[in-house]
Amino acid sequence: MTRFVESTITFPYKRSLGPVVGAFMTALTEKRILGIRNGNQILVPPMEWDPTTGAELAPDFIEVGPVGTVESWTWVPTPSEQHPLRHPFAFALIRLDGATTALLHAVDAGTSERMVDGLRVAPRWKGTRVGRIDDIGCFVIGEVPETEANDTGAAQEPVQRMDYNASITYRNPVPAATDRAVVASRNHRLLGLRCPRCERVYAGGRGYCPIDAVELGPECEVDLPNVGTITNFAIVTPVSYPGQTETEPFVRAFVLLDGTDVVIGYSPVIELPAEEVRVGQRVAAVWASPAEELDQEGGMGGAWGSLLGWMPNGEPDVDDPDLVNRIF
Amino acid sequence: MGTREAGNAISRDIAVVGWAQTDMVRHTDKSETQLLMEVITDALTQLDLTRSDIDFTCLGSCDYITGQAFSFVSNLDAIGAWPPKRDSHVEMDGAWALYEAWLRLQEGDIEIAVVTGSGRSSTGDPTLIYPMEMDPYFLAPLGADPLTFAALQARAVIAAGIANERSMAEVAMRSRGKGDVDELLATEYLREPLRRHDVPPITDGAAAVVLATGQRARQLVERPAYIAGLDHRTECHNPSFRVLDDSPSTRIAAEAAGLGDAPIEVAELQAAFSHEELLLRRVLELDDGVLVNPSGGALRTNPIMATGLCRIGYAANHIFGGGNRALAHATSGPCLQQNLICILEGR
Repeated sequence: MTRFVESTITFPYKRSLGPVVGAFMTALTEKRILGIRNGNQILVPPMEWDPTTGAELAPDFIEVGPVGTVESWTWVPTPSEQHPLRHPFAFALIRLDGATTALLHAVDAGTSERMVDGLRVAPRWKGTRVGRIDDIGCFVIGEVPETEANDTGAAQEPVQRMDYNASITYRNPVPAATDRAVVASRNHRLLGLRCPRCERVYAGGRGYCPIDAVELGPECEVDLPNVGTITNFAIVTPVSYPGQTETEPFVRAFVLLDGTDVVIGYSPVIELPAEEVRVGQRVAAVWASPAEELDQEGGMGGAWGSLLGWMPNGEPDVDDPDLVNRIF
Repeated sequence: MGTREAGNAISRDIAVVGWAQTDMVRHTDKSETQLLMEVITDALTQLDLTRSDIDFTCLGSCDYITGQAFSFVSNLDAIGAWPPKRDSHVEMDGAWALYEAWLRLQEGDIEIAVVTGSGRSSTGDPTLIYPMEMDPYFLAPLGADPLTFAALQARAVIAAGIANERSMAEVAMRSRGKGDVDELLATEYLREPLRRHDVPPITDGAAAVVLATGQRARQLVERPAYIAGLDHRTECHNPSFRVLDDSPSTRIAAEAAGLGDAPIEVAELQAAFSHEELLLRRVLELDDGVLVNPSGGALRTNPIMATGLCRIGYAANHIFGGGNRALAHATSGPCLQQNLICILEGR
């Protein structure tokens, strides 16, 4: 059975809004909706350019709505976590009074039977408005705008930026070759795969030869030496970002395994201060103890399994000026 | 040796000479790279070619679907990129990768290109991923999803008299080769006016197409499917600024590709939603004599990032089988935002 791993990726975007979208968002915090003039048209939401010709538009804003008319709609019986309402609602194209284009937004109509083209709707403003399209929580049926309790008022400064946190969860298959490499690592074995055509050897559980584009099965497995030479390295000074756990400068080294062409890249070094790392330094693999394996943060992870990194083995350095070129 | 003149540029003879697709399944255990290794090998083997014969590759895939930045770099493992090869990538359906390869082959210094499209939609949840690709200011924060946009376009197409719920069900039934229209129409709405049969399945899969120039194409196969015209056009990204009961970008691309030059026998349309097929038929002015989507189209299998490329493959099958002229259509973005038309001919 193929094993799957689940991972969630989060993108914390901060978007600059520019002179047109920024003006629209600032007005939302004031419970006003702005369109932009484009010849005889009033575009809502406002664009910086003519949607047909691409010509830049002058910042000639006109207040529209806030009441409008439903031009078209569809019913969402099962909202997703991204939708503005937790219960069934309509997504509608709403032409706000004074606008010549429609704005897509949610209508909290209760049941689909109440939705009809020509329906008059008004915004339900959020109490706390930050300058996002969802400062309008949704539209409600009728001519009277509503505001949620605890109105904290308009933005003190023009809104120039908006936050948007995208988050996606993925489920990926783990190649069988990766799982076999992890199992071997528990016994402190570095597993390689030798391509039957070109005879190149690969580590890291890659289940195919990228040169010959053929799959490499268990019959291709070879044991790799636990000893090698540092060919190159980087000292990384960590900057703070979501998920970063390092706080001090740390080393990532590239290790050429003895008697092979295999370079294991981006490896941690152990009991070796950053200022003492050298090209040509001889190192041996350090494996996690069973207790350390419980701590997933410690090792190199992925197909490397129990491999924690590399430490000096006491042998004299290798003197070869070409070593530094080997990072793959 | 030109086939069509546009300004001073003369297009060379470039043809689809073969293609392959993986099994199209709801959920594969294979990685995208594995899918590509298999499908490229299949496409080349039937032509007695190997990877070393390929002068240029262009891969179409999407990091957002794969869940990995630069995922196309690992996909390169499938093309055997050593010694170093000419390669490119588009973050679009493989049909646009084919467009780039067609342009590259025009330079005349190389003969064979391989184009792929690949996607594992089952890796994530498409209903949550696609809203994030929408306008980031006005649409993404609302979770505006593809089903909602499709439903709004379906309403516009119905209001214009181009489709109705019954004709949409008939499209779905014909595409999938099963079902009963009255039974389908008795089911609940997923997004009014769309029911489950009106929307595409979620499919994992990949396709690879081999292009060859002039003499080389004729050496490889008896009847190459020559690219007589190829064009793509786009419209405003926000569907609320567009006329939803029309597809002007499709119309312009079809004119530029020379649809009107001679009758076509088969049209493969990337219509993931049933009403899209009816709208595209209207815009392209396809009469009842044109066989539309004999493959079953995107309503039968919808391997995102390969669906459009498969349309070109199926249209080529018509030429390989003795046909004279076929149209392939590919699309990208909500409510048919961007459209590509490829006209294939036998000679």
